[in-house]
Amino acid sequence: MVWGAWICLLSPLVAACLITLGGRRLSRRAAGYVATTACFVAFGGAVASFVGLLGRDASQREVVSTAWTWITGGSYQSGLSILIDPLSVFMMLIVAGVGSLIVWYSVGYMDGDPEERRYFAYMALFVFSMLLLVQGGNLLLLLAGWGMVGLSSYLLIGFWHERPSAIAAAKKAFVMNAIGDASMALALFLLIQKANSLDFGILGGQYSSTVANLVALGLLGGAVAKSAQIPLHTWLPDAMEGPTPVSALIHAATMVTAGVYLIVRTHAIFEQAPKVADLAAGLGALTLLVAGLIALVQVDIKRVIAYSTMSQIGYMFLGAGIGSYPNAMFHLMTHAFFKALLFMAAGIVIHALVNEQDIRKMGGLRQLAPRTYWGFLIGSLALVGIFPFAGFFSKDSILAAAMDRGTYGYILWAAGLIGTFLTGLYTFRLLFIVFWGEPSAFVREHFHPLGRDTVAVALAVPVGVLAVLSIVGGWIQFSPWWHPVETWLQTVAEPVVSPESWQEWLSIGLSLLLGLSGIAVAWLFYGARRLAVPRLAFAQRTLEHKFYFDEAYDALFYAPAVFLANFFRRGVEQPLIADSGRDLGDDTRDLGGLVARAQTGLLRTYALAIASSVAVLAIVFVVLK
Amino acid sequence: MIALLGPEVTWYLGVAAFLFATGSLGVLLRRNPLIVLLSLEIMLNGGNLALIAFARNLGDGSGQIFALAVMAVAAAEVVVGLGLIVALNRKRVTLDVDRLNTLRG
Amino acid sequence: MLVASAGNVLVWAVWLVAGFACIGSGIAVVSFSSPFYSALALIGNLGSLAVLYLLLSAEFVAAAQVLVYAGAVMVMFLFVIAYIGPHSESPWMGGPSWQAVGAVLAAAAIFVEIVVVVGLKASGKLAHSEHVGAGFGSPAQIGRLFLTDHLLAFEITSIVLLVAAIGGVILGAHSRRDAPDEVASL
Repeated sequence: MVWGAWICLLSPLVAACLITLGGRRLSRRAAGYVATTACFVAFGGAVASFVGLLGRDASQREVVSTAWTWITGGSYQSGLSILIDPLSVFMMLIVAGVGSLIVWYSVGYMDGDPEERRYFAYMALFVFSMLLLVQGGNLLLLLAGWGMVGLSSYLLIGFWHERPSAIAAAKKAFVMNAIGDASMALALFLLIQKANSLDFGILGGQYSSTVANLVALGLLGGAVAKSAQIPLHTWLPDAMEGPTPVSALIHAATMVTAGVYLIVRTHAIFEQAPKVADLAAGLGALTLLVAGLIALVQVDIKRVIAYSTMSQIGYMFLGAGIGSYPNAMFHLMTHAFFKALLFMAAGIVIHALVNEQDIRKMGGLRQLAPRTYWGFLIGSLALVGIFPFAGFFSKDSILAAAMDRGTYGYILWAAGLIGTFLTGLYTFRLLFIVFWGEPSAFVREHFHPLGRDTVAVALAVPVGVLAVLSIVGGWIQFSPWWHPVETWLQTVAEPVVSPESWQEWLSIGLSLLLGLSGIAVAWLFYGARRLAVPRLAFAQRTLEHKFYFDEAYDALFYAPAVFLANFFRRGVEQPLIADSGRDLGDDTRDLGGLVARAQTGLLRTYALAIASSVAVLAIVFVVLK
Repeated sequence: MIALLGPEVTWYLGVAAFLFATGSLGVLLRRNPLIVLLSLEIMLNGGNLALIAFARNLGDGSGQIFALAVMAVAAAEVVVGLGLIVALNRKRVTLDVDRLNTLRG
Repeated sequence: MLVASAGNVLVWAVWLVAGFACIGSGIAVVSFSSPFYSALALIGNLGSLAVLYLLLSAEFVAAAQVLVYAGAVMVMFLFVIAYIGPHSESPWMGGPSWQAVGAVLAAAAIFVEIVVVVGLKASGKLAHSEHVGAGFGSPAQIGRLFLTDHLLAFEITSIVLLVAAIGGVILGAHSRRDAPDEVASL
């Protein structure tokens, strides 16, 4: 079982190294298969760990395997260790499983791209980094994995580096993640100072409320940045510049959920800082509403799905913030399934329409790409949370748990319910616009279906698998009746809230109702075109500008920074440093010129100089003697 | 052993100083290079006189050796100097030290 | 005593004559406008200096002075002056006046300083000269010194003379490639 975990961690790293070192010797397709195989091997390792843990007693399900002592500094010590416990195995299965499917899908999607090898090396690196993050045995390794997934994300967003928009998006993502990394690092510093260790066990120790709040705040900062919650969310829509499989894997299924994982893993400190936990839940609720609203007006197919991701992670933050950890993780799992499915189906659509992503040019693809349509439909239904699809089982239990948190919880509950309505609305808006109706002129002209070659297989099979999972994946847990997921994760993160039965049923009913009404409204506007979309100019503008967050950040941070930089360049660097160098040369030359005037060329002047010097020196010697 | 008759060495030194000063005045004020060389000879002679005077004062023959060496060097320098002047004259250059000023900064 | 004082008076008289001749010819060298007269004045200077050397028991040096300086160097000078001819004369003074003032001041300063220093020290060792043996300043002593204590100076002096001779030849040699009508305004 320990071996399984190590294999799981290291096999993508080996693949990344092989692809990098192989270079041109490896064909492009072969690089893809190397990466895919490594990810499937990792999944096998994860399954082995899972089975191993299953065989153990519930109380003995925490195994730490240390490779060697990595850092020693004074009395502080950190080992290169991985942790195998229910939570980490849970994440390993998701990351390796969904990751393998997406990497396989990329073999088809990226076929023909001249830099395919670099892509698969980066993807393998990413899978390794994410596994390091979830398997890290102490906070230091978690931070290492955290940083590396940020790096992989940067590399993959900016993969098509000839595009300036991609480069800008990559930089934006990295800078915002760096803010989160910094706050996390500060939290870790504080922990080292107080507890002299970064093992996960110390989080349960007793800390003063200031320390606990600060640490939790720092960790929350990192989580907010990585998971693209308000206020550090503006990078996620821009990150859609990367290839679609990247969006599926990194910005839907795995990396952006790392924030949720972090909160659940470090829940002990969040329980000691209840205000910060409430803040987390509040940010989640805010994000899910804001993202849902913005998604209503987006016209890029990937951006709608990106805002949907942001919104769903808001749900997870809500769940983790209020203390319903197993439900948050369960929603993470189902979300990975259907969100990856949605992105991959969208990817097929984009590929089929010569890389066009504007939904206004699409329409009527239902007839032309029926299987893609089914996949997309299944994903959308799962997303909205309609019985019996996956999202139904996971989302509602979070809402129910919120009811157990007093008045604040009810506010969150209401926000979550409104979010459900919005989810139904924007998801099916997208589906109806893209797939229903008559094929648009653009579609008629450019659509070309997939063939039957390996590329098509690579594209179709993972979508099919995820579609199946989106249907059955949620059947693992139905909160009122059976909850194995909760039991599984209980040893690691005991939920703080336990809703009553009536609360569960009420949430389920209301959520279902609101979701269906959202679908109905979307059908009215976009499906059957019975009603015209209302023109609310102000709201439209605000939503289109994403609530002016980008503009605000530009004015608050970017413009002053540029101003300061220019000021220092003009006021300090140019005159003091650059000019001084030049002035030094000029002044020396002028001084030399002055001195050179003594070189008159006249013999008598020189002789006079010598004679006068002799006279003066003689006086000096006489006086000194 | 013979004593020094006549004026003490200081008087000789006075004459030597005067010769040196006069020679330097000539070097500094005349423009004809030949006369400059001649003035230079006066200066060297002044130095020589001082050397011989001290040699007599201290009873050490090294001063006279030094004076002979100075004489040899003076001769050598006159050779080169006159050679220069002759070369200049052949090139039809005006023999005026103030005109020979192209070696300047 | 009388012989001594008589000798003393004689020496003083010779000294006065030679001294004034020396000073006078020195002034004459720097004063004449014609280089020919200046050279002749220099010969006079060398002669009076030789007398002074004799008074200082430096016989060999005095002889060398007359032979080398007056005989060889001055003859060379006169040759060159004759070769160049009278048309190469220049006015007495020229250049900026501050140079003249500066020159006079510097020369005067040097003279005054030396006199002052010598006067200050006049009470010490300069007051009484050593009594020297009969062979002081003789060729024998000079030769012994040259070949024992100051052998290096002897050798180097000979090299200096060799270099000067070569230099003189090179400087004076007619360059075949020179165009005689090349007006080189240096």
